[in-house]
Amino acid sequence: MSLGMVFALAGAALAALMAGIGSAIGVGMAGEAAAGVVTEDPQKFGKVLILQLLPGTQGIYGLLIAFITLSQIGLLGGAPVNLTTAQGLAYFAACLPMAFVGLWSAIRQARAAVAGIQMVAKRPDQMGKGMIFAAMVETYAILALLISILAIFGIAA
Amino acid sequence: MAIVPMKRVSVYGLKKDRKRILEALQRCGDFEVIDSGGENTEFEKIDTSASQGTFARAVASSESALDILKSYTDSDGSIFDSLKGRKEISPELYYKYVAESEEIMRVANRINILSKTISEQKAEIVKTEFQKESLSAWLELDAPMNFKGTKKTAAFIGTFPSGTARDWILEEYALKSAENKTEAPIDLAFINETSEQTAVMILCYKPHREAVEDILREMGFAYPNISFAAVPRAKAEELDGQIKNAKNIIADSEKEIASYKGMRNAIRFLADYYTMRLEKYKALSKVQNLKRTFFVTGYVPEYDAKNLEAVLTNKYNAAVEINDAGEDESPPVLLKNNGFSAPVETVIETYSMPGKGEIDPTTVMSFFYYILFGLMLGDFAYGMIMFLGCGAALLKFKNMETGMRKTLKMFMFCGISTAFWGIMFGSCFGDAVSVIGSTFFGVDIAFKPLWFEPIKNAMLMLMFSFGVGILHLFTGLFLKLYTCIKHGEYKDALFDVVFWYLLVGGGVAYLFSVDMFVDMSGLGWKMPPAGAEAAKWCAIVGAVGIVLTAGRSSKNPGKRLAKGLYELYGVTSYLSDILSYSRLLALGLATGVIAQVFNKIGSMGGRSVIGVIMFIIVFLIGHTVNLAINLLGAYVHTNRLQFVEFFGKFYEGGGRKYEPLTENTKYYKIKEDI
Repeated sequence: MSLGMVFALAGAALAALMAGIGSAIGVGMAGEAAAGVVTEDPQKFGKVLILQLLPGTQGIYGLLIAFITLSQIGLLGGAPVNLTTAQGLAYFAACLPMAFVGLWSAIRQARAAVAGIQMVAKRPDQMGKGMIFAAMVETYAILALLISILAIFGIAA
Repeated sequence: MAIVPMKRVSVYGLKKDRKRILEALQRCGDFEVIDSGGENTEFEKIDTSASQGTFARAVASSESALDILKSYTDSDGSIFDSLKGRKEISPELYYKYVAESEEIMRVANRINILSKTISEQKAEIVKTEFQKESLSAWLELDAPMNFKGTKKTAAFIGTFPSGTARDWILEEYALKSAENKTEAPIDLAFINETSEQTAVMILCYKPHREAVEDILREMGFAYPNISFAAVPRAKAEELDGQIKNAKNIIADSEKEIASYKGMRNAIRFLADYYTMRLEKYKALSKVQNLKRTFFVTGYVPEYDAKNLEAVLTNKYNAAVEINDAGEDESPPVLLKNNGFSAPVETVIETYSMPGKGEIDPTTVMSFFYYILFGLMLGDFAYGMIMFLGCGAALLKFKNMETGMRKTLKMFMFCGISTAFWGIMFGSCFGDAVSVIGSTFFGVDIAFKPLWFEPIKNAMLMLMFSFGVGILHLFTGLFLKLYTCIKHGEYKDALFDVVFWYLLVGGGVAYLFSVDMFVDMSGLGWKMPPAGAEAAKWCAIVGAVGIVLTAGRSSKNPGKRLAKGLYELYGVTSYLSDILSYSRLLALGLATGVIAQVFNKIGSMGGRSVIGVIMFIIVFLIGHTVNLAINLLGAYVHTNRLQFVEFFGKFYEGGGRKYEPLTENTKYYKIKEDI
């Protein structure tokens, strides 16, 4: 296996790893807040569950980038592409935006989601707005995802 | 696209008809009572806050009784209850329940008391068990716990620190008494030893009592923190009796609560009944009264005003006055749209109702809503699942509440759009068709895209997303143009809308003549030079126009120019707005790729019986999870694009939702003619 392949694989792993960690922390934080609300009023379960899930998307984006990278370098199809070290490093770099922004934005989004959950506890009718506040943070995860995707497809072309 | 015009209606009547008239207004559900008139008029208002409090308590008490019944008896509902809507109640049942309302209230209160008793007794059991626990060390003692001795002897009942041996106590005592030169023989009864303490009883002659006590204290003797006049074993039995008693009370209370199972519907009715009365009394507090007459003012939708007038004058002997809402008033907002657009009204409500002078964005928004949602989910099979699921629910439960019906309809239309984009982009459970074909049948088939596959041509999809975004934003601007023209603000229309069209439209068009952009986009289409020149000049005119006019509210020319320049800087917000639509690509790819991941995992078992079983299990679980997550994502981000990017261009909201006096019940619908 070439050094390039190792770099590309490290990039894919990093994207899934860091974005996944971010989402795990985020969903966990929001889950704690949600459980607190449900002790007071079990009927709000559905509403707070949606808010809890919001920071979970970064993990999915990380998975997406890892998956695309793995399929581009042929690790999924069973026929690994012969990568040069430079190409491998390029894949590594392409995965970085998703890895870092995924980690950090999930945690920040979770804080917005926790605030939203606390809002739902007092004013359940305002849930839509709480959702939007959290979704604002996600924009940057989506932008990072976009750059990672474009870069990965760009390297292949 | 319409906001229902509101009429201001005043109803005048005789005081003796007041109750009937208010009830009629409540039943027709199209009259929002407003607090009219100032404080210093001849009219008097009734203070109903005490009755309102009573009714609110009755509602709360019935609701909590229902909750308690639910936890002690089997549920009589199913998960589809929220789809079923309220049952209509027959007049006979209505009158029967009203007649029995005091008895029902008594039962509801009884249930609450029983539940309280149960929790009290449970606390009592915990306390008693704790007491019993602290007794356990003393069970071997056959004297009363507070035994101080007989006529001749003194007794010490107490503890030494744990691990104190019987011999040590005797030796140590002998030593100490020798030091103090006291002759006081003792008798030691070793009761019990636990890891926390050693329990003992020591006897001595009464005259030696104090001397002995001093020595024992030095050795670490302590009196126990419990004391009572009974032998510990007897006390323990007494406590057991108490626990048994408490358990019996709990069992009896639970049985009694369960016996009220049949009253559930009656209690539900009671909750509704008092909710209705509460609403009515709230309205009553806004009624203006004279000695024999009264009047009440409220907002009525225009289409219903005449109808209401006819009913009130003919049937209830009231006088009705209908006026247009005044210029300085802001009547409540009620939206009315056709069946295709009305479902997204719920989304607008989440944001804010249209403010004064604003248009209802529902119709325009509904098209974009369905399209954007479909693009983000973009899978034929997922779309069909949504469409069929929501459609079936809508057909099966005819009596569904309006809000729920709208939401399901919205997802049904979103489902159609999702399926449509699934066909365009060739996605059906991701790439399930080709995976199943190649893994299990060895054939090379695929669900071919009608247009292109975003995963193979991400750049084209990105360009398409931006295109949809620009269309969406420009439509928002157009709605602003429309509003300006409607209000006759032609200057604003030119300065705030047309210049932006020129700048952003020209700018985007000009990009297509830049080689780098054309290469990057991969569209293979380049703007001819003449077009590029025209686009350039459009953008320049727009930019200059904005700089010159955006600060027009300031008199000072320097300040005006500065404001204009600052406003021009707002072009960056257009850039970020357009870029924001890249989420169409990102979320669309996320759905497809995760589906592919699950298909791949499922097909790893290969072409065998186990492989097929594994594929089915992974397929079912994986696609359920994928659909759930991406449904949530698509919903949230469609809302975001509407609220932030689209509404940001023209819509402020701030209107108040129309909330008529109505039978705001939870469990039963009450028929018109009761």
